[in-house]
Amino acid sequence: MRLLTHNMLSSNIKGVTNGFPLLIEVEKVVEKQVDFNEDFLRNMFPKIEWKALVEASRTMGYTELPENAESSMLDSDEFLRKFHHALIELHLEEGALVCPETGRKFPVNKGIPNMLLHEDEV
Amino acid sequence: MILDAVIARTFCIEGVLACLTVIFTSVRHHTRRLYSMKGIGGDNSSGLCSPVSDADLHVLPSISMRSEQKCLSSEVHSTPEIEKKYVHRVYDAIAPHFSSTRFAKWPKVQMFLNSLPRGSLVLDAGCGNGKYLGLNSDCYFIGCDISPPLVKICADKGHEILVADAVNLPYRTGYSDAAISIAVLHHLSTESRRRKAVDELIRVVKTGGLVLITVWAREQEDRLLINKWTPLTQKYLEEWIGPGSPRVRNTSSTFALESIPEIAENGPGEQSNNFPAQPSNVVSHKIVQSNSRDGDQSLAPKTEEDCASQQEYFVPWHLPYHRAEVSGASISALANGLARKDDKKGAVVYDRYYHVFSEGELERLVSSVNGAVIVDRFYDKSNWCIILEKTS
Repeated sequence: MRLLTHNMLSSNIKGVTNGFPLLIEVEKVVEKQVDFNEDFLRNMFPKIEWKALVEASRTMGYTELPENAESSMLDSDEFLRKFHHALIELHLEEGALVCPETGRKFPVNKGIPNMLLHEDEV
Repeated sequence: MILDAVIARTFCIEGVLACLTVIFTSVRHHTRRLYSMKGIGGDNSSGLCSPVSDADLHVLPSISMRSEQKCLSSEVHSTPEIEKKYVHRVYDAIAPHFSSTRFAKWPKVQMFLNSLPRGSLVLDAGCGNGKYLGLNSDCYFIGCDISPPLVKICADKGHEILVADAVNLPYRTGYSDAAISIAVLHHLSTESRRRKAVDELIRVVKTGGLVLITVWAREQEDRLLINKWTPLTQKYLEEWIGPGSPRVRNTSSTFALESIPEIAENGPGEQSNNFPAQPSNVVSHKIVQSNSRDGDQSLAPKTEEDCASQQEYFVPWHLPYHRAEVSGASISALANGLARKDDKKGAVVYDRYYHVFSEGELERLVSSVNGAVIVDRFYDKSNWCIILEKTS
């Protein structure tokens, strides 16, 4: 699971009003090189919850992202590279995503989050 | 004139100008095609190229908007047993074989994905073996499916993927640029669940984002194919309300197909007449009793149109013995009755549940969802297809 996906995921358990961002429990992180796509980064930037991305990347052991970001920073190649790396090159391979309201854990095995709810959660 | 409207709306969408000519041509092509299809369905529902109006909503009385709206969200979200058993468990069991046969990409889906602006984020809800993930290398794809074995197949190909339910997507609102739902809605067994899945697709794309939905058509190109399917009612009766069913044992006075309200509305009684082989007398008797006792007006008189309106089917999947042997899932499926052996064909046969869409039904379904307009619709390879744009 990439942090791009983490930035999109939200706990949808019945009754939960703010399921974002999910907390990350890390067992194993892997890095996979991905082709750089500047258009994609520029397109995604306004939709990214930056604080959640910064927190998530730190949890995954990457501390290079600035605390705050604004669109003018997209002109910096250095910033784009860091953004790219955090967003789509870091993978949570093993671990869990935790609902911020209920503490319910969604397992992540072999890089695949299982977001299915139990009968009593829908 | 209507085509003009389609084109005008298409012009308003940023980024799809490049494919406009292609879409225009395809709409024209399929318009001709659709009219030639009209005879097949045998009903009088409106042509695809008519604007979807309130009048159209009356064409299929079995689609009852008002009663559906009363559904509690938990009823919509919780998966009916028929989907668990005849969709989820079947795909879990046949996943590797299914995937090995699912490589042909539909040109219309390809065309849609290739029309998206470079750098788009595309969500595939119910992605199966992930054959469309990564199709446009300028875009970024995230897939989900409810079947873990299919999801694993996607992951093994290197796709970004998760296990999730298309009726209740675990995604933030407005995050993606486009979404696709390819051959998914026909596996949902109630009108309200199908509508919720459309709701979810609209919810997760940004304003101005496009959603492509395709579903299996009742009006199949190969009409003989339908003869190979099992109309649901007979099997349904045996499986879900037969004498051995806990549901019948426990609800002797109020007979109801709780998990599939529409089928109850359509009236299992008259639909059972579609079959040469009648279900057991006990079951038929129960239905007739229920029918007359409740005096339910929605249980319409038996007519030929009712026969033509059959939309619930079990569609067989033949898993060749040599594929089944390597899968322990088939052994247990045979043992617990999920699958049967067909020695003639040398295959383990699984039934998959389908609600095949009638002409115009998909339009009516999406028209009841707020915040989106139809920008294109067409018939392709025995599928009804629609492209929506989120407006708010």
